[in-house]
Amino acid sequence: MKKKKPSGTSLLYQLIGEARGYDDAIVLGRGDPDFDTPPHIVAAAKRAMVEHYQDHSPPQGLLALRQAIAERVKRVNNIDVDPETEVVVTNGGQEALFLMVLAVIAPGDEMIVPEPNYNTYADSLAFAGGIKAEVQTYAESDFRADPAAVRAAITDKTRALLLVSPNNPAASVISPADMREMLEIASEHDLMILADDIYDLFVYDDFEHISPASLPGAKERTLTLNALSKSYSMTGWRLGWIVGPADLMARVTELKAAISGGTSVISQHAGIAALTGPQDAVEMMAEAYRRRRRLVLDALDAMGVRYGMPQGGQFVFADIGFTGLDSAEVAQRMVSEQHVLAYPGSAFSKDRKDYLRMTFLQPEAQLREGLRRMKIVIDKIVAGK
Amino acid sequence: MASDNKSALLRRQRANEHLNSPLLQPMARDDKDLSYDGVQARLDERIIDAAAAALDDGQTHYVDVPGIAPLRAAVAEHLRDSAAGHYQESNIVITAGMQEARFLSMQMIGENFNSIALPAALDPGARKALGTRERQPSFLPVAPARGYLPSVDAIAQAAADGCRLFYLESPARLSGAVYTAAEVAAISQIAADNDAAVIWDQGLAPWVAGAYASLAALDSDCARTAAIGELASGMGLASWFIGYIAAPARWIAALQSQKQIMAICTSTAAQYAALGASEIYSELHAPRLSALGALRADLAASAAALGIAVVPGAAQNILCLQVTAAQRETISAAGFAYADGSHFGASEVVRLAVNDAAAAALGALT
Repeated sequence: MKKKKPSGTSLLYQLIGEARGYDDAIVLGRGDPDFDTPPHIVAAAKRAMVEHYQDHSPPQGLLALRQAIAERVKRVNNIDVDPETEVVVTNGGQEALFLMVLAVIAPGDEMIVPEPNYNTYADSLAFAGGIKAEVQTYAESDFRADPAAVRAAITDKTRALLLVSPNNPAASVISPADMREMLEIASEHDLMILADDIYDLFVYDDFEHISPASLPGAKERTLTLNALSKSYSMTGWRLGWIVGPADLMARVTELKAAISGGTSVISQHAGIAALTGPQDAVEMMAEAYRRRRRLVLDALDAMGVRYGMPQGGQFVFADIGFTGLDSAEVAQRMVSEQHVLAYPGSAFSKDRKDYLRMTFLQPEAQLREGLRRMKIVIDKIVAGK
Repeated sequence: MASDNKSALLRRQRANEHLNSPLLQPMARDDKDLSYDGVQARLDERIIDAAAAALDDGQTHYVDVPGIAPLRAAVAEHLRDSAAGHYQESNIVITAGMQEARFLSMQMIGENFNSIALPAALDPGARKALGTRERQPSFLPVAPARGYLPSVDAIAQAAADGCRLFYLESPARLSGAVYTAAEVAAISQIAADNDAAVIWDQGLAPWVAGAYASLAALDSDCARTAAIGELASGMGLASWFIGYIAAPARWIAALQSQKQIMAICTSTAAQYAALGASEIYSELHAPRLSALGALRADLAASAAALGIAVVPGAAQNILCLQVTAAQRETISAAGFAYADGSHFGASEVVRLAVNDAAAAALGALT
């Protein structure tokens, strides 16, 4: 029997597994910042192990953390929420994402998803029995989600509109004008909005992030997720949140209770320290990502690789179609021949086999070396070797 | 403007009886909260040191989806050593607590079956996990005299009726009752004869005095039993939310995939804390079980002296009592919270956590 080639998430696991076997591997795949969690957050967690390990946390999270989240979304996102009834703490942004989809999608419902997008949205939709209505975006327009295309995709089964800004993997940012138009569309067609703001602190050049729930009339139909993983380098703590109107959040709370019951109290105390403590580490990391982004783009330019300009986020979605190979094969060769891990675009969308997602979550020296090795592979492929 | 879309989904939720089941917490809200089924205990400094050392070592990042390898190995070893399964490291998925273990196992193993049979009285968290998607559950009859465990005959009848997936608790989360070794052998035979599978909640097994018979222990090939439970129970880690699924190899890929989709991994610090706990578990657990046993015996005697029937149970951390409405009111009026049997499916009883406050709660009835 012919062995089936791995695809999607299984392909990613295979590539990750192979990269792990090389001592000199350079990992430009997973969205896990190279920085460790800032020391004052770790210190708060250690204190919590002594002082707060018997704290009782309801499924929606400790009130002190929900208050800190409410203050954060007001300050950063201009969203007003009541910490008592409009915030739910989650096991990372991933659980928040899963809960948001479960909260609004029933079997047969359609959700509009600008593509390419983070593959877990499709997986969560599949779990809920929903249907992904894809709206394609293109590198030529920096992966802009066109409101007209969104409007055209609406059917009588459409229930929700997904707005991820900055987007993963394409790193596009929805402009304020487009965001207003998206809200108009959602209002006209009575759609729920699922907003993923996880990269909201990482926006470059003159681009501007706007949270849909901050727009007049939007809050009542919008669930917004975020997490501390990317902004505070806290991926291992599994701490995120959803904010939204009280009626929908009551449903989110029931679902949160059903799928995991609660969130580690130690992580929650770390989260309080992150949100209420000094923020200089966040700015330091953001500045590092700005420099690294420039480094990666310059290297890709030198290789003649096209990309949609990453307006935000922590990655570049690069078009390697000129090699003549599927990006899964390119990614495989990069791992096997040069021990560099990047994610093939097909893991994010079946129509993006020409793309690689490369993070800039490694120190600059590592990035330079990774890009040097990538060029060796690309040059060999182009030369027909 | 009012949203018909939102109104419709909120109506759907209100109609979802299983999803709206209450969720009991693993630990007490306050000194008078007796509704939990965990064991409150001091967090040993060595466990704190293990977690802190991992953090100092930079373990603040994602880890493998099913859990860190040494913890999975420790869980498998512990299950083998305590005659609670023949699992290997590769059979283990570390979860963000008991409820996630329930959800993942019921939903993902359940995808392979048309229906699932559950005890008519069981932890409301199981109903809640079931309610996240449309499923066709059937409920196995239970009776107080048997500690609300479905009989072997009821399980056999359900299998004869075509059910191929069972969710069973032993100890029962309501009463602490356990299946005897002979009953477990009979259930194992029913599963084998009918090519059926069982999700076996053995989370309270560490609190059983004396021998405990695990269905997983009879599944020598790890072919049809998925065992679930809390990790490091009674070690002060209840608020860290950490549990496990030990499952046959054929279901592991689906469990890991769904774990990735819904959480990526379980808190790294919690996993290292649980690993630290595994190293001192045998030292700390036995005296805690012994102390609970003595306390429970006293509580049972006090209840009997009040004319209150104690539902049979072997788990020493909980006590299930048949109380009158007036007695419930008295306990509540004294400020104590209990787990209401009606939330499990047995309105005639309440469940108390075994601790010093439970004595005071019973004292309020004198």
